[in-house]
Amino acid sequence: MPRPEVNMVTLTIDGREVSAPENVMLVDGAKYGDVEIPVFCYEPKLGQPVGACRMCLVEVEGIPKLQTGCSTPVKDGMVVHTQTQRVKDAQEAVVEFLLINHPLDCPVCDKGGECPLQDISFGWGGGRSRFVEPKRHFEKPLALSPLIAIDRERCILCYRCVRFSQEVSEDYQLVLAARTADTYVATFDGHPYVAPFSGNIIELCPVGALTSRPYRFRARPWDIEGSGSVCTLCPSQCNVELTVRDERVLRVISRVHEEVDDGWLCDKGRFAYQAIHVDERITQPLVREGGTLRGVSWERALDEAARGLSRAGSASAALAGGETTNEEGFLLQRLTREAVGSAHMDSRAGGSLPVELHAALGAPVLQATVPDLQYAHAILVLDTEPVDDMPIVDLRIRKGVRRNRVKLAVATSRPSSLDRNAAVSVRYAPGCGEAFVAALNAALGGEEKNFAELVAAAGTTAEGVRAVADLLAGAGGTGGPGDVVILWGERLTHGRRGAAAARGLLNVAGHLALAGREGAGLLEVPAGTNGRGLREVGVLPRIGPGMAQVASPGALGAAGIRDGLAAGELSAVHLLHVDPLADLSGRAAWKRGLEAATTVVAHSAFLTEGLREHATVIFPAESYAEKEGTVTHPDGRVQRLRPAIGHPGEVRPGWQVLAELMKRAGHDPGVLTGAMVSRRLFEAVGMYAGLTLEELGGRGVRWPARAQAAAWPQADLGPFGLESPPAAPSPNGELRLGTFRSIWAGPAVGASPALRFLVPKVRVEMAPADAQRRNVTHGDHVTLGADGSAVEATVMLRDAVPEGTVFMETNALDPGLVDVRKAPPESRR
Amino acid sequence: MSDKTWTPGDDVILVQRGPEPGGAGGAYRAFGETLRGLKTTFARMVEGPQTIQYPEEKTPVFPRFRGRHRLHRFEDSGLEKCVGCSLCAAACPADCIRVVAAENTPENRVSAGERYAAVYEINLSRCIFCGYCEVACPFDAITMGHDYELSDYSRSDLIFTKEMLLAEPLDRTPLRAEGE
Repeated sequence: MPRPEVNMVTLTIDGREVSAPENVMLVDGAKYGDVEIPVFCYEPKLGQPVGACRMCLVEVEGIPKLQTGCSTPVKDGMVVHTQTQRVKDAQEAVVEFLLINHPLDCPVCDKGGECPLQDISFGWGGGRSRFVEPKRHFEKPLALSPLIAIDRERCILCYRCVRFSQEVSEDYQLVLAARTADTYVATFDGHPYVAPFSGNIIELCPVGALTSRPYRFRARPWDIEGSGSVCTLCPSQCNVELTVRDERVLRVISRVHEEVDDGWLCDKGRFAYQAIHVDERITQPLVREGGTLRGVSWERALDEAARGLSRAGSASAALAGGETTNEEGFLLQRLTREAVGSAHMDSRAGGSLPVELHAALGAPVLQATVPDLQYAHAILVLDTEPVDDMPIVDLRIRKGVRRNRVKLAVATSRPSSLDRNAAVSVRYAPGCGEAFVAALNAALGGEEKNFAELVAAAGTTAEGVRAVADLLAGAGGTGGPGDVVILWGERLTHGRRGAAAARGLLNVAGHLALAGREGAGLLEVPAGTNGRGLREVGVLPRIGPGMAQVASPGALGAAGIRDGLAAGELSAVHLLHVDPLADLSGRAAWKRGLEAATTVVAHSAFLTEGLREHATVIFPAESYAEKEGTVTHPDGRVQRLRPAIGHPGEVRPGWQVLAELMKRAGHDPGVLTGAMVSRRLFEAVGMYAGLTLEELGGRGVRWPARAQAAAWPQADLGPFGLESPPAAPSPNGELRLGTFRSIWAGPAVGASPALRFLVPKVRVEMAPADAQRRNVTHGDHVTLGADGSAVEATVMLRDAVPEGTVFMETNALDPGLVDVRKAPPESRR
Repeated sequence: MSDKTWTPGDDVILVQRGPEPGGAGGAYRAFGETLRGLKTTFARMVEGPQTIQYPEEKTPVFPRFRGRHRLHRFEDSGLEKCVGCSLCAAACPADCIRVVAAENTPENRVSAGERYAAVYEINLSRCIFCGYCEVACPFDAITMGHDYELSDYSRSDLIFTKEMLLAEPLDRTPLRAEGE
């Protein structure tokens, strides 16, 4: 459904003429005339109003009874009064009623000082109560989940949390139990409310009934300062406000940005701030001496790192992880290319694409924005699980499907949490994204010749592919091609056949005429937070800042670096916010590579496995609350990170460390402040030309919408001739293995005391039929893979998993065929 | 302003010159006036000394005197009255109160409510003794005491912690009796 047109109507509120958009609710319409109507239950983000709290009663001329302003749409010529005695009496009565059962324990309540009930009682209440009977009592305080405390006495039954659970995150866990004054909020089965987005109900609650357990009693609103920044824990890059007290981040709340996060946060973003202030964090440079890492001075660590990298010269390589800012990435590629003299670097987790394909996939004419997901005719979710890879987009898709009747097609190998909302959802064999895209391309293009062959290669069904094709092609109804957004995971273009998959995707986009279409296009879900930005600033083999082609024939990407290290062709590697053993595919090969490397320079906040065993120099890295710089959202929005707190211990800014390394290697970049690096970056990257940090401000700027987007290299958008993709491995007694990365992956979750319970156990998702055949049941310990790289896991039966396939969160095994065997009893933990 | 002769207006003040020094008038002014002043001194001398031998003796204060703060406990249970709500810190115009709250547990029950003040500090070198904290406190946990002896050798010693504020003052300041 395309964006609705906005017609303005004129109405009279409290005697003044107000012009407001048609069909908005009176509460919102009144704001256009600077009239405030108090509300508790009304929250436009939650969808349709429910009118539960009755706080918004207003008088509308022509209607005998008072009306709820939250559920009465504005109409032309309406005459509304909000200040008459009748309305005032009603408001005072509602406040008095709400306070009948609300305990007056504001001094101990965590919401005190930022509580809408306090504010509205003060502003609109009568200031007295005639109620002398005992108040309702519940056991308190209780834990609704390990993250949320619930105080049922304080609840005013506004339904906000229940509506969030039922209609926004659609986890359907929260309900209102019992009736009348005894009603209380609970999960339907009494289990803790654990869901990826559960923390949002804390922010939604208009009273102190739902409070954050990690923030419990930590500070009062007047003790704290808010500091706006951007969360860099996943590609969603939600705008957040960090609550700071005494140089410590105590809470993360949303800094609502309609174009990015819609005002929601996932629990990882909301609670993983705790990892900033834990003892495990590295706060001083470490150098390996005689096999153990020892704390040393910055001078010594910098000297040692610069010497190691320079000595290796062209046999050194650099890798940048997702949390790297554009500035750090820019300096890293300068350090590696200019000072160290090596062309080997990568920021993509697996496999390189040729520059022309990067240019085509990222072409400004083909880019969709996040709000486009909400207003498109149809969405195709391709080879990505939004809730794991880019959580906030999951809520946006649900919103589009629920409220705007967006048609959703899901094409993934692993069962998706969006399947229930999808008009069509189709499975294919793990790692066969290329074949699926080729089959979809054939279906859209009406090529019957080798369609069946492609369907078989993808391990999917012809009906499924045709249903997706029909849905996408017919999205616009009779009015020609519709607005289609393809949300595709970077994973699709990983591996040796990545380029072919990218060409197939471009062909599909071509069939759907997405290029240049407003409200339609491709939206990539990168594997790393700032995947897009790092590409644009040139942390790729053969691609320099601004997507400029760099003539360096032998330049290696991540996989090449891995094999080069293992083979001894490369001797040094520079790891910027990345631990190959945890983040990159081919774990066993990386282990060999890191073991063989003579110099491993790492920037990290935590001593992760690969670094503990293999790093020779470790620089302490900043957390995102300390960082200064910019990151680029997957839809092209350049956003600014601002430091909220000072650096703990001896931590130094990342750009400064890289600049120092450049100086030591004989190439002074001439930057003295973080802002200077940003300026250099904006000068060097064509699309960012003319940007300033002031212009980015708190909301960021989408560069594809600027005139300077013309600096993007011209790209051939297809159609391309496709080679026939390799067929899916046939599960001949063995099972196909698909891997994924859950939302709770990464060191920040494990290091946060509140989130530790969510750290995923090593689990293998299996179809019940497969499990039965192998005589294993739910909860059994099994081993997967060959002897060399066998992995132990716990079986989790999942109905939706297609037979013949298992899924596991790991990078220890590469997708392919595995056997699942019961683990020998002695290895059980 | 013209360059003609300047004529003073109404705002001119004529300065009265004193008498020339010397002569009988001069002698009177030197001794007579001094003796007139000393008359008051000698008249008060017979009243006896009015000074107090501080610090052996202390000036009694009125009951409403706003001296150094005190935190209180419940007399029966011994629990702290303060629940760490931070309202005193919000009311403080000098920004000298710092409260960090924590949660009571069954094993460690400090106050009557769900929360208690894990850290309660008043920086008395900043305090202006306005008493707003006392007014703001919803549990009468903090009151202004009568101690006014607040000098120390370092500024940091003037940051009073919760334990110091909860303790009974060592030397109680005498209270002024009724009608005194």
